[in-house]
Amino acid sequence: MDHMAEEKLGERLIADWVRGAHLHFANDEARKKYQARAQLIIDTIRLKDTGKIPVIPAATQKFALDYGPVTFREAMTEFDKAFAAYVRQYEDTDFDAYVGPEFIFPAGMFEALAWNRVRLPGVHLAEDNSFQFVEAEYMKAEEYDEYLDDPSDWILRKYLPRLSPKLEPLAQLPPLRNMVVFHQGLPDLVLAAAENPGVVDAMKALQASGESVQEWYEYLGRIDQELGGRLSIPHLLGPMAHAPFDIISNYYRGWRGTIVDMYSRPEKMTALMERLLPWQLQYGIDGAKAQGHPVVTVYLYKGADGLMSEAQYEEFYWPTLKKLLLGLVEEGLLVWVFTQGKYDSRLHHFKEIPAGTCLIHLESGTDAFLAKEVLAGSQCIEGNVSSALLATASVDEVEAYCVRLAEVCGKGGGFMMDFSAFLDEAKRENVKKMIEVAKRYGRSSS
Amino acid sequence: MPQGLTDAIVGMRMDEAMTIAKRMLDNGTDPLAIIADGSKAMEVIGRHFAEGEAFLPELIMGGEIMKSISEEVMPGGAGGAPEGSRGAVVIGTVHGDIHDIGKDIVALMLGIEGYAVHDLGIDVPVEDFVAAVKEHDADIVALSGLLTLAFDAMRSTVDGIAAAGLRDNVKIMVGGAPVDESVRAYTGADGWGNDVGRAVKLAAEWTDGGA
Repeated sequence: MDHMAEEKLGERLIADWVRGAHLHFANDEARKKYQARAQLIIDTIRLKDTGKIPVIPAATQKFALDYGPVTFREAMTEFDKAFAAYVRQYEDTDFDAYVGPEFIFPAGMFEALAWNRVRLPGVHLAEDNSFQFVEAEYMKAEEYDEYLDDPSDWILRKYLPRLSPKLEPLAQLPPLRNMVVFHQGLPDLVLAAAENPGVVDAMKALQASGESVQEWYEYLGRIDQELGGRLSIPHLLGPMAHAPFDIISNYYRGWRGTIVDMYSRPEKMTALMERLLPWQLQYGIDGAKAQGHPVVTVYLYKGADGLMSEAQYEEFYWPTLKKLLLGLVEEGLLVWVFTQGKYDSRLHHFKEIPAGTCLIHLESGTDAFLAKEVLAGSQCIEGNVSSALLATASVDEVEAYCVRLAEVCGKGGGFMMDFSAFLDEAKRENVKKMIEVAKRYGRSSS
Repeated sequence: MPQGLTDAIVGMRMDEAMTIAKRMLDNGTDPLAIIADGSKAMEVIGRHFAEGEAFLPELIMGGEIMKSISEEVMPGGAGGAPEGSRGAVVIGTVHGDIHDIGKDIVALMLGIEGYAVHDLGIDVPVEDFVAAVKEHDADIVALSGLLTLAFDAMRSTVDGIAAAGLRDNVKIMVGGAPVDESVRAYTGADGWGNDVGRAVKLAAEWTDGGA
């Protein structure tokens, strides 16, 4: 294949994203401001010494909703209220990029299906409590071969029925791979539907769930237009992909099941991760194309320090994650690698990915100063301002920590200011101080 | 072959451990003695963990092997009531939060360390903590949470224990990934931790006057 003259997908998407090709700007000034911010984000990931420290939000959840105020429950059902709260929050806080309510999903999407992987405010939890995900064993230890043999069949007839009682009737369908002989297998398929009225109800439940999603996507689009086109703030959270190990652990086997598998059936686990890898890579690439967004976000879960030994990380976690990152970068895409938990001992691995392609998020448990030492000249780092500090400490304490971060980690570029985790409880004056320190540093050094 | 059982568990060899346990049972070994051998293995794993030579997977896998052995040699029996000589611990994830991995690990580790651990589970209301402290005459209360929203729930739990007149009877620790000294101060707890080792160390300081 001749790539010489070919522009990579990522390069085209970066140019479009920086230009704001997907937005209608309120005026020329708004356009220029947006483009300057977007370019600053890209340049910082590319490790250019811009003399500035961009400020980005990992995600503002309750912190944003409190600008309404809107409860979590309302935010998942009454999108106009949440829209107003998010706009107000971003008007009041001078971030260089935004992350919207992408994780404050529509309650109807899950409720229509009685989805059991989530606990919802107003249903299982108090109205103003954050939704939470349940990690359980949805795939049995003996089902590895079944999955490897025909993943779509396992997902349709085993996984979905376990995730939703409304989808249990799907288990009655025949394997679709049998739709070949005797009138292409049609009699078996339609008979299963006719004999199980629940199949039709399952389709209706899917339709109801989908209608919530239609409404929600329309609202996310409005937010992008308002925050991007009017307030000139680029949207940082775009397409996503997952580390294969985390898929098995978070979605299929649960953490306990995964650990047992690491000791009892390591070869099956590895085979499954290798199977998942190309699909995740393609999922990230397709998402980037569909959204016109050059930064693929990869949230990391189970690879943190202490959750496994370095030897286990190198055997089970890193190989497929590395291939995923390299595959995305090969397409010219950038990757927002969102580490969660303490990550000190794993940071050096990101040097194996071409320099200036990853934005590495750090939670407060990770030593940001060590990260700067390890990754300087290799990857951009961001985050680390403790959510606990923002929630409970004084403005002076926040300022002292952020100044240190700006001076040490900001030196020479390759750093963005951000809090440690999704922001719920936090004092506004503390968040504003964090932002102000980053901007002040930019001015003083440029 | 008690040594064989301990070695198999420490070596994370589930099938071998089960085979040995079954053979011991067939040969007339007291089920309690088999479980005691398993507990020795868990102590070794706990020590390796404390020394940084073992990680969470070893702790969890060791616990899984022990669970399977208990079910095999004492079906439906003795699993529940914990024994412990170093003190009674009431542990749970505070109300509004359903995360359990960190809490489970701390509970497991404190059990290995010789505490009687009473695990109240997740999303635990204040009154359940208060009732458990009374019921078990607890020495230590361990409040877990992963969300920043848990800070208020931790504080109200500490307040609830105080309002019940029990605050002077117990030492309270708060723990979870986002927890630090500022959270400890905010909640009014006596100590904090964001990893298992710190929880164990704190408990030892409180019950034995040192690790």
